[in-house]
Amino acid sequence: MHRFLARMSALPAAAALMLLAQMPAAGQQAATRATQKKAAPASSRFVVPHTAWGDPDLQGVYTFATLTPFQRPAALAGKDVLTEEEQKALEEQLKQKQEENIATNEHFSYNALWFASDQGRPTGRTSIIIDPEDGRLPPLTERGQKLRVEAQARAATKRIGKDQLVDTWEDISTYNRCLSRAMPRVTQEYNQGAQILQTPGYVTIFYESMHDVRVIPLDGRPHLDSAIRQWNGDARGHWEGDILVVDWTNFSDKQKSDGSAPFGGFPQGNLHVTERFRKSNANTLDYLVTVEDPTIWTRPFTFTLPWRADDPTYRGPDDLFEYACHEGNYRMLENAITAAKAVRAAQAGKK
Amino acid sequence: MIGAATRTITLTFLLLLAMQAQAQQRPAYRAPRLPGTQTPDLNGIWQAVNSANWDLEPHAAGPSPFPALTGAIGAEPAGQGVVEGGKIPYQPWAAARKKENLEKRLTRPTTHDLNDTTGDPEAKCYLPGVPRATYIGLPFQIIQTARQILLSYEFASATRMVFMDRKPKPPADSWMGWSIGSWEGDTLVIDVTALNDKTWFDRAGNFHSDALHVVERYTPLSPYHLMYEATIEDSKVFTRPWKISMPLYRRMEPNIQSLEFKCVEFSEEFIYGHLVDKPTK
Repeated sequence: MHRFLARMSALPAAAALMLLAQMPAAGQQAATRATQKKAAPASSRFVVPHTAWGDPDLQGVYTFATLTPFQRPAALAGKDVLTEEEQKALEEQLKQKQEENIATNEHFSYNALWFASDQGRPTGRTSIIIDPEDGRLPPLTERGQKLRVEAQARAATKRIGKDQLVDTWEDISTYNRCLSRAMPRVTQEYNQGAQILQTPGYVTIFYESMHDVRVIPLDGRPHLDSAIRQWNGDARGHWEGDILVVDWTNFSDKQKSDGSAPFGGFPQGNLHVTERFRKSNANTLDYLVTVEDPTIWTRPFTFTLPWRADDPTYRGPDDLFEYACHEGNYRMLENAITAAKAVRAAQAGKK
Repeated sequence: MIGAATRTITLTFLLLLAMQAQAQQRPAYRAPRLPGTQTPDLNGIWQAVNSANWDLEPHAAGPSPFPALTGAIGAEPAGQGVVEGGKIPYQPWAAARKKENLEKRLTRPTTHDLNDTTGDPEAKCYLPGVPRATYIGLPFQIIQTARQILLSYEFASATRMVFMDRKPKPPADSWMGWSIGSWEGDTLVIDVTALNDKTWFDRAGNFHSDALHVVERYTPLSPYHLMYEATIEDSKVFTRPWKISMPLYRRMEPNIQSLEFKCVEFSEEFIYGHLVDKPTK
């Protein structure tokens, strides 16, 4: 951890440090070590603007897209940040990879061209996870392992040869069913725009994907009754200086993040998330998230990524266009289920 | 003497006129201002309390579509209607289409084409469109800032962004349309265009084309009430513009908040069940 902090450099690192320094509970260890190491440096001259009623003003249109992987690749073990040269080389490499992908796409499937404008930039770190310090998810608990094995076994019953069969809508992810997107939102394939609006007593986050809205009360009211479980949980916020701290619970077990989230595949009923939002300059909202579920992971983990307001894909609120998904999903399911029937019929014919 | 009497009568008359004019001037109520602005603060959770979603026109009570399954639960409540003048001014072909819509409103979409053309989109949990989202029966939240207003509906987690500070052009038609807002006194006026032709106005099959143009007006009447009016114009379907109006009520429960009604999962058996070779749940 010491080495990690020592090597974090420049502005984003300083911002993360300041955020870390204020983390209670889950991030306590990291925070303690951070404050022991040295007091956070004055990160920049940026002064957070305030709303007419005196709250820090985080409003804007952002994208949380980034090309940095959630977990640190094995090849980069022991290395947490990239040098400026490495970062440049990585960006060049990603650009080349994208061009190659576009040039060689013979199947007209979703390719880099399709994703090109919505992929963000690398953060400068080698992983989005910053704690544990190896940049990897913590080990699973016994229950976590059991759930993973069961999910894999379930998927295997639906596999014939290389085909993953869709016998019913329940065989596809809730994302592909246009029901939900994993929360908390981490880098996803597309439509990674979000807008923050503030009104007296509330912060509202409007996510483009799934047209999901989280209206977060700041008045200290209790969470919803534990009988009320929601796909997008239940959030309560408060200000710690310029930082919006959000306590997020009451997720539904139906929300499994589908494996589409990097830490996904597990029922989220016991999930407890602490989010921190802090504007570190005019174009950047630092997003620092601690995720805990002691029934799935042996310890909490923390990740951070920037929400950027200077991406050309999301310049203004009119760039967040209606995400009508379910409304256009009939053919997808019809084709998938029909195809599964054909594969099963062919299989029966062989026997 | 006569002159004095005339003067008195004239004065009384003028006074009465002035009072009447004042009474007609809505709103007598002045809403609190949104901090940092001169405009009314409409933030809050609002809900229509009527049976407009069953039928915009006056209607008697009726049985549920599945009395054998649900008994009196799901039966249609009577309503005096919300259309000014009572009837929607359909062109003749469109009146016939409305009747067909009603008869086939719960047709299961066993083909893609049928899914596209037939049945109440509410049953499929499709985005409800404007103005139906307002009175579909669930609450909605107004999240009002000086530059934009986000309308967030519980039904299908539908949303609309209303642009207050400029007038961007719609890039394409959509289910919830393109909303440009302005203030006329204390009334929020929203001009809605670029709506597609796939939504309905209610469960009775009242419908429109992609030429639909809706002008909504939200006028604060008290801390607890908004008057909602929508003028509906569609030269392909109606003989003239027509108007609906209804009060909206502020949800006043302590700690009230918008809850999820992500109904996709409640619609899948209805939409896709015919594709699947399994006994339904």
